[in-house]
Amino acid sequence: MNAPGGQPIPDAPILEARGLTRRFGGLVAVDDFSFAVREGAIHGLIGPNGAGKTTTFNVISGFYAPTSGQVLYRGRDISGRKTSALAEMGLVRTFQGSTLFQEFSVLDNVRVGRHLGARAGFLSRLLGTDRGSEAQADASAREALAFFGLEELADEPVSNLPHGHQRMLGMAVALAAEPEVLLLDEPFTGMNPEETRRMMALVRRIRDGGVTVMLVEHDMQAVMNLCDIITVMNFGALLVEGAPDEVRNDPAVIEAYLGSATGNGAGNGAGDAA
Amino acid sequence: MPEPAVAPSGSRAGSPAGRIVWRLRFALLFAVLAVLPYLLSYSQQEIAVLLVINVLLVSSYRLLTLTGEWSLGHVVIMGVGAYASALLAKRLGVPVPFSMLIGGCMAAATAAILSFPLFRMKGFYFLIGSFAAGEIIRLIWKRFTDPFGGPKGLKRIDAFPNIDTGFLSIDFYEPVNYYFLALIIVSISLFILYRIERSRIGLTFHAIHWQDRLAESIGVDTFRYRTLAFVIASFFAGIAGGLYAHYVGTVNPTRFGVDQMVYVLVWAIVGGTATFHGPILGVIVLTVINEIVLRGLGLDTARPLIYGAILILSVLYLPDGLESLGPKLRAWLQRRRRGPATAGGEAA
Amino acid sequence: MDLLWQTAINAMYAASYMALIAVGLVMIFGVMGVINFAHGELYMAGAYCVVFLYAQEKFPFLVGVAAGLIFVGAIGLLMERGLFRPLRKNPLGGLIASIGFLLILQTLAVFGFGRRMGHVPPPTQGKIEIFGAILTYQRLFVIVAAILLLAALWAFLKRSKFGWALRACAQDAEAASLQGISMNQTARIAMFIGAALAGVAGALTAPLVSPTPYIGHSIIVTAFIIIIVGGIGSLEGAVIAAVLYAFVHTFVTTFFDGVIANIVGLALMFAVLVVRPTGLFGARERA
Repeated sequence: MNAPGGQPIPDAPILEARGLTRRFGGLVAVDDFSFAVREGAIHGLIGPNGAGKTTTFNVISGFYAPTSGQVLYRGRDISGRKTSALAEMGLVRTFQGSTLFQEFSVLDNVRVGRHLGARAGFLSRLLGTDRGSEAQADASAREALAFFGLEELADEPVSNLPHGHQRMLGMAVALAAEPEVLLLDEPFTGMNPEETRRMMALVRRIRDGGVTVMLVEHDMQAVMNLCDIITVMNFGALLVEGAPDEVRNDPAVIEAYLGSATGNGAGNGAGDAA
Repeated sequence: MPEPAVAPSGSRAGSPAGRIVWRLRFALLFAVLAVLPYLLSYSQQEIAVLLVINVLLVSSYRLLTLTGEWSLGHVVIMGVGAYASALLAKRLGVPVPFSMLIGGCMAAATAAILSFPLFRMKGFYFLIGSFAAGEIIRLIWKRFTDPFGGPKGLKRIDAFPNIDTGFLSIDFYEPVNYYFLALIIVSISLFILYRIERSRIGLTFHAIHWQDRLAESIGVDTFRYRTLAFVIASFFAGIAGGLYAHYVGTVNPTRFGVDQMVYVLVWAIVGGTATFHGPILGVIVLTVINEIVLRGLGLDTARPLIYGAILILSVLYLPDGLESLGPKLRAWLQRRRRGPATAGGEAA
Repeated sequence: MDLLWQTAINAMYAASYMALIAVGLVMIFGVMGVINFAHGELYMAGAYCVVFLYAQEKFPFLVGVAAGLIFVGAIGLLMERGLFRPLRKNPLGGLIASIGFLLILQTLAVFGFGRRMGHVPPPTQGKIEIFGAILTYQRLFVIVAAILLLAALWAFLKRSKFGWALRACAQDAEAASLQGISMNQTARIAMFIGAALAGVAGALTAPLVSPTPYIGHSIIVTAFIIIIVGGIGSLEGAVIAAVLYAFVHTFVTTFFDGVIANIVGLALMFAVLVVRPTGLFGARERA
């Protein structure tokens, strides 16, 4: 399935799923699902509750192995690899809510995020000769904080941060790992309109910095305004894929959301469509 | 967990003045440790040697707990170092300091092999798994008389060789001299353990403890780091075992049984595992209580009962250990001094 | 052939009291999520009830057994109230506290009865022969009592409201409390039954094992092996695993030796932990 000779074909998708299936016991959460993410895009993955978005996300990011099918990253089959190995290849995910190292300071959170960038041998750690690479890690951690406007809070314990800031910090930790593809798990959930607007601007800036973004989201408004391309899932399978305007007016999408009519995503979606 | 348990970055070096204060404190500490054995009776000196060895044992245990896993096999791992070093010296004639080092490496290698099955488990399963692995090793010592000596274990283990250079002659059969030997080896080991914790490796251990999924997502191979913690902790436990074997001269399977592991747990938990010095504080305080109070009052048989009660009371009422008493006390004093109006945010 | 049959009969006896112990441990775990490390000492306490009342004070054997059941059950209530309830949010803390409690029970036994084995004269002398294999009345009595007790427990869990509450708490404590199940009440009953089963096992087997204050260690190791192999949290699994383990252990002991049998048992548990942590018979699936 790989490109001939191992060379990536120009214009080939950076991230691709082919016939992805994941079962839990008798339940089929993802059923023969395929999609492709273009390099440099902001790609949204949406669907009514229980459509299999989160499972798909967890399979792509290595938390579960697919029951069958493949995940391809730059043409290489990465299905079933460990999450840490994927991060090393440049595929980094975030988490819903405020999943952070709550016991650490803000800066230390991002310093852990520099794990892959600040390599040093065991002995140099012991002898303190890793000071150079650690100083660099420190500097780039502070840069990442500055990008999200958190540099003032560097020494605060995370638990003191308001919720919105914790969400930003979660992004900063992921960004510190220098991803090529950033997978965002519901980045707007629980945010007020002002926070959502700021977060959208940041995601655009991240993309403009050369990072491909894929996100799973409930908040239709944000997805419609932000994404270049949207994949809609229902019952674990592909429903529609296309630009926001196409998706917005697709009868199948409207029906799927109205039919399930759960959560704020459905409400927004229906409102949008009307 | 009321307070942030770690702050690996901030308090590293401090100001030059702060550094001098720290150096003075260490100089004072070492002065006390140097004078101490001469203030003790012969039997107390023997206990001091064992205490120094136990400090290394419990500190190495803490390194393992940094990643969030609690093992019940740590004392058996210490035994691996003890048995290996004793057998190397007895059977193969390896000089004792080298046999200890190899013993530490054997303990580390045992941990490396065990990590493959053990780190498929987490939490309670890891606890029971490490217990089972340790018991199997212990039963092997018990069952196979050749070379392990069976239930009676190994006796007449070679002592640490005496140093005799004409004008300098040190007999390590003397507890005072062995005390200083152990003190030097343990101090070096503690320094290494401390450096590891304060480096990025330690930060990563903590990160795995608190959020292993998040750590994994930014590229931390949690299995490798858990193994690393286990291997390092086991190496130093093995060194502690070697120090023990060549001092006491005998090892047997019972010496590394579950009850001994319970003592390590008690030391660590009563001291508190959130800081480097917590478990050390725990082992010192409890040993002093044990030797002075219990033996002095003739309550030796009540020792397990009192340890058990202390363990229960500290889990119930002092979950962060003795180490948390200092900051709590300081905060309380400051609050009293400043009056109740300005409480909060002080101390640390 | 004779030896095989005799060993099988011996294994039946071992299975019966092991099942009592393991089922109790599983019940406690099911409700409270805590592994009771002091379970072996509860067995020991039951055995010493018989040592005291029957061997020393010359009461009838059954009085000692009944006392073992009630007294150890009461210790269980004490543990629930004093240790596991305050530490409900902290399963590791509960486990560690039970280790502390184990040391206390052990020392109290040493104070009361000394370190040496307590001698218990056999209440019955007779034996029966089953196709050439010998089974003493005392062992037969243990087997019958264990089967009756487990059957009674099974009926109680099936019929009573408590059985339903126990299952609900084991599945999801929070949901159970929303359904109006009292967590404290359920935990109390589970802890009483769990401890009493261990106590009764100790009391029944006291004439056969010559208890010491340190007997709990081998008991808890056995119990761990059984509950892990049976799938932690599964009562049926515990019974099946007790039978399985008793046969493996008894046969290896007979044809090799006791230490090898212990190694085999631990290796069995270790293998289950690695390959199938939910146990061979555990039904619960992990997400």
